[in-house]
Amino acid sequence: MSVVAERFNRHPNLFIALGFIALGLMFPFFFDSGAGQMQTAVQALAYVAMALGLNLIVGFAGLLDLGYVAFYALGAYTMGWLGSGFFSEAGGGDGLHILVSGQITALPGVHVNFLLVIVAAVIVTTIAGMLIGLPTLRLRGDYIAIVTLAFGEIVGRIAINGDEITVNGTPLTAGRQGITPVDKIKLPGLDQFQALDLRPWYFVALAIVVVVLIVNFRLRDSRLGRAWVAMREDEVAAASMGVPLVKTKLLAYGTGAAFGGVSGAFLASFLNTVNADQFQFSFSIFILAMIILGGLASIWGTVVGAIALSIINFYLIPEVFKNAPQKIGLNFDLTELSFGIFGFLLVIMMVLRPEGLIPERRRKIELHEGVGPTSGVGKTVVEAKG
Amino acid sequence: MTDVATPESSPGATAGEGEPLLLQGDSITKSFGGLVAVDDVSFSIPRRSIVSIIGPNGAGKTTFFNMLTGLYRPTQGRITFDGRNITGRRPDKITAGGMARTFQNIRLFATMSALENVMVGQHTRMKAGLFGSIFRAPWVKHEEERVRDVGREMLAYVGLADDQFEQMAVNLSYGDQRRVEIARALASGPKLLLLDEPTAGMNPQESARLTEFMHKMRDEKDLTILLIEHDMQVVMGVSERITVLDHGQKIAEGKPDEVRANPRVIEAYLGKQGDKEAPDGDDPEREES
Amino acid sequence: MGAVDALKKFLKAYGLIAALLVLPVAYGIQDLNNQGNLERLAENLKDGISNGAIWALVALGYTLVYGIIELINFAHGDVFMIGSFVSVSLWGTLGLTLATGPFGLAIGLLVTLLIAMVASGTLNVMIERVAYRPLRDAPRLAPLITAVGFSFILQNVGILWLGGSPEGVPDLIHSQQQVVDVAGVSITRGDILAIGVTAPLVLLLTTFISRSRIGKAMRATAQDPEAARLMGINVDTTISFTFLMGGVMAGAAGLIYALYQTTVWFFQGFTAGLIAFTAAVMGGIGNLKGAVLGGLIIGCIQQISDNRIGGEWTPAIVFAYLVVIMVFRPQGLIGEETREAG
Repeated sequence: MSVVAERFNRHPNLFIALGFIALGLMFPFFFDSGAGQMQTAVQALAYVAMALGLNLIVGFAGLLDLGYVAFYALGAYTMGWLGSGFFSEAGGGDGLHILVSGQITALPGVHVNFLLVIVAAVIVTTIAGMLIGLPTLRLRGDYIAIVTLAFGEIVGRIAINGDEITVNGTPLTAGRQGITPVDKIKLPGLDQFQALDLRPWYFVALAIVVVVLIVNFRLRDSRLGRAWVAMREDEVAAASMGVPLVKTKLLAYGTGAAFGGVSGAFLASFLNTVNADQFQFSFSIFILAMIILGGLASIWGTVVGAIALSIINFYLIPEVFKNAPQKIGLNFDLTELSFGIFGFLLVIMMVLRPEGLIPERRRKIELHEGVGPTSGVGKTVVEAKG
Repeated sequence: MTDVATPESSPGATAGEGEPLLLQGDSITKSFGGLVAVDDVSFSIPRRSIVSIIGPNGAGKTTFFNMLTGLYRPTQGRITFDGRNITGRRPDKITAGGMARTFQNIRLFATMSALENVMVGQHTRMKAGLFGSIFRAPWVKHEEERVRDVGREMLAYVGLADDQFEQMAVNLSYGDQRRVEIARALASGPKLLLLDEPTAGMNPQESARLTEFMHKMRDEKDLTILLIEHDMQVVMGVSERITVLDHGQKIAEGKPDEVRANPRVIEAYLGKQGDKEAPDGDDPEREES
Repeated sequence: MGAVDALKKFLKAYGLIAALLVLPVAYGIQDLNNQGNLERLAENLKDGISNGAIWALVALGYTLVYGIIELINFAHGDVFMIGSFVSVSLWGTLGLTLATGPFGLAIGLLVTLLIAMVASGTLNVMIERVAYRPLRDAPRLAPLITAVGFSFILQNVGILWLGGSPEGVPDLIHSQQQVVDVAGVSITRGDILAIGVTAPLVLLLTTFISRSRIGKAMRATAQDPEAARLMGINVDTTISFTFLMGGVMAGAAGLIYALYQTTVWFFQGFTAGLIAFTAAVMGGIGNLKGAVLGGLIIGCIQQISDNRIGGEWTPAIVFAYLVVIMVFRPQGLIGEETREAG
C-alpha cells in the first residue's frame, strides 16, 4: 500500500478535513464577492457551526434539546447589545467603546471589539446552556425535549416582547423591529468588513467552522466524549463506573450552547440585524433536521446535513424551484411549502434511514439493532443520582 | 499491618480473621412505598475476604447491592466504607472511593468496544477535563495512552483474546461479555468488587474457572469481593462467609458449612421451590433477587 | 433529617401549589385594594374555566397516549387545529351562517361536532400507524422526531387551507352574549358551550374507560404491556384505539375553540399543544382526572395572564410553569409515582 493510502487509513479525519478546508478556501473564488451563492455559503457555514453544537448535545450526549434557538438568540443579542447603537444612552450619550477603532469610535451606543464580543457570547451562552440543562437533569428523553422546548419558547417570547421590558428606561430587545444596524466585524490588522464584499465574512465563518470541528473531534475521542457515549447508552451503568452525571450533562449543554453563541454573534453582524422573528421554534427544528439528515452524532454527517439543508432552504426553494408548483398547475410558490417539506423530510428520514446520510457507527447500530439506550416502554426506576 | 478499627464498627460485628472491616452496613432498610425490600439488615465485610449473599428470588439481594453502590438511598440505616460514611452518596463518588460492580444482566456499553468499555471504567482515574481534552496537551495524550494500556492489560488479565479488544461489546460472546464487565470494574482500581450473579449462564467448568479467578483477583489485586450468587457450588467453593437473605431479612450468616446446615436457610429455599418465581420486571434495578 | 432535606421535601409537596397560587392571590389582593371586590378576578377565573375546558379535552389526548405508550404525541396540538379547520369548513359546506335559525344551527353544529371528532380521531390513528408504530423499538428520539415532522406537515396543511394569518370565523352562537349574571360575573353563551359540551364528553370518556372492555384493555396495557399481551389483549389495536379517543377529544375541542374564540389559525395547534401538554403534566401525566384538573388550572393562569399582564406574555408564563412542574413535581399534582414521569 502506498505511503499516502496508509497514512489516510490511520487518520482519515485529517485527510477529509484537509480536503474540506481546501475546498472551502477555493470556493469563494468561483463567485463574485457579492454573489447570492456567497450569501448562502456564509449562512450555511454559520449553520454548520450551530448544527455541530446541537450535535454535541443531542448526538454525543443523547440529550434531546428542542430549544437550541435560545442559544442562537443569546449569542445574537450579545452582539446586538455590545455592537450597535441600541443602548443609545451609554457613556452619557457619547457611547461606550472598548477596543474599537475607526468611525465607530464616534458613534453612540456600546461598541466592543468583535473578538471580545465572541468571548462574551461564549460566556453568556455557556452559562445559559447550563441553566437550561439544570432542570432536565433528572428527566427522561421526551421530557428533556419539552422542557428545552419550553425554554426556547420563553427566550423567543422575551425576544419579541423585550421592547416592553425596560431596565432604567432602556429596553431589553427591539422586538420584531430588530436591533439594526449591527457593527460589522473588525479584526486586528484588517479593515472593517463591508456589506458588499462577502469574502472576508466567508473566511471568518470558515475559520469558526474549522475551530468548532477541531473541538468536536478532540472531545469525541476523549475521556469526556466516552463519558457522553456511556451516559447516553446506559446512565445507570455509567454512573456506576464513575461518570458524574450532572457534570457530564452540564458540560454537554454548555459546550454545545457555546457554539450556538459564537455563530449567533457572527450572524448578528453578518445579517446586520437582531430581530425576534429570527428566534422562533422552527429554527430549532431546522438545526435539528440538519443533524438528523446528516447523521446523529456524526461530525461529517452534520456538516453535510447542514450544508444540504441550507442550500435547500436558502437557495433551492426560494430561487431554483420556487415556481415548480406552477409548472404542474398549482397556484402557489414553493416557499409556502417549506414547513411541510421539512416535516416530510424528518418523517422520511426517521422511517427509512434514521442513521442519516453519513451514519455514525454507534448510532447506526443503536437505531437498527435496538441495542443501546432503551426505547419504547423502557423506564428507569432508579433515578441515578449525580 | 496496623489494625484500623473503624470508629463506626458496631460491637457485635465479626471481624473475620481479625482483619479490619472494609464495609459495614448497620440496620439497612429499603422500602418502596408500601413494599419493604430490605428489612433491617446489618452486615460487614472484612478486608481481603470473599463474602457471598444468597437467598431465594425476591429476597432483596440486588436491592441491597444497589444501596451499597449508591443507586438507591436506604430508607434507614447507615453504610460505612473504608472508614467513611457513604450512605446515600452518589454512585460515581462511591466508585471513585474504591467500590466497583458488575451487573446481573450484563450492562456493557453495547456500541463501544471492549477496550473502550474498560477505558470508561477508568473515568475516575483520569484527570482530563473539558479544556484538557480540547487543547490536547502532552499530559493528556500520555494519559490517554496510559489508560489504553491499562485497558489492554485488564482485558488480558480477565482472559479476553487480543483480537477481541476492538470488537464491539454487543458482538462479543456471552462469556467474553462477562469478562469485559469484570475488566471494566477492575479498571477503576477498586478495593471492593461487587459481583452480581457473575456465573449466571455459565456451565460448571466456566464457573469453576471464575471461582479460581476470584481467588486470583483477591490475592493479586488486594481486593475484597462481595458476590450475589445462586450457584451453590460456586458459593460454597469460594466464600469465606455467607449471608442469607429471605424476604428482605437476614436469616443466617456464617461459614459455608454452618449456613448449609441451618434449618431456616433450608426451609427458605425449599419453601420457595413451590412458589411461582417473582416475575422479572422490565427494569433490572427492580429485580429483587 | 437536615434543614435542607426538610426544605426540599416541603418544596416538593407544596412548591407547585404555592407557585400556582401566586398569580390569583397577588391580583386578588390588588383588586381588593383598587376596586374593593373580587369581581374581576372571578371573571378571570370564570373565563379561565371555560378556556380550560378546551385545554382539558386536548390534554386528555396527551395523557391517554402517554399513559399507554409513554410517548409525547407532539403532533396532537395540530390534530386539534385540524379539528378546528374541519369544523369551520363544514360550516361553509352545511351553510351555517349567522342567519341560520337555532334549530338548524343546533343540528348543523351537532353534525359538525361528529364529523370533526371522526376526522381528528382518524387523523390521530393514522399518525400512530405511520409515525409511531414502525418506530416502537427505536430509541426514544425517533418517534419524537417523526411527531415533530408530522406537526410541521399538518401546520403546512393549515397554511394552505386557510392561509398564514389568523382567520376570523362567523360567531355562530354569539359566544359573547351574556346568559346570566352571577354575583357580578357575566356567564356567556361561550361559557355555557365550553362547559356544556366538555363536561359530558369527559364523563363519557371516563365512564367508557372504566367500564368497557376496551377501556379495561387500555388500562391494562398502560400498566404493563407485556402482561396485557399475555392475557390475550391485542396491544396494537388497543393503542390505536387510544389514539382514536385522544383524537376524538381534540376534534371536539377544535369545534368548541372555533365557536368560542371565533378565530382560527394554523399556528393555534402549536401553542395549544404546549399549553395542553403543560396541563396534562400539571395534573399528572397518565391520569385522566389530572388532565382535566390541569386544563382548568392552566386555563385560569392563562386568563389571568392575558387579562393582567398581556397576551403576548402568556405563553412564556405557561411554559415557565411547565419548567416549575418539571423541577419540583414532575409527577404532577395528583399523578401516581408508579410509572415515573421523571
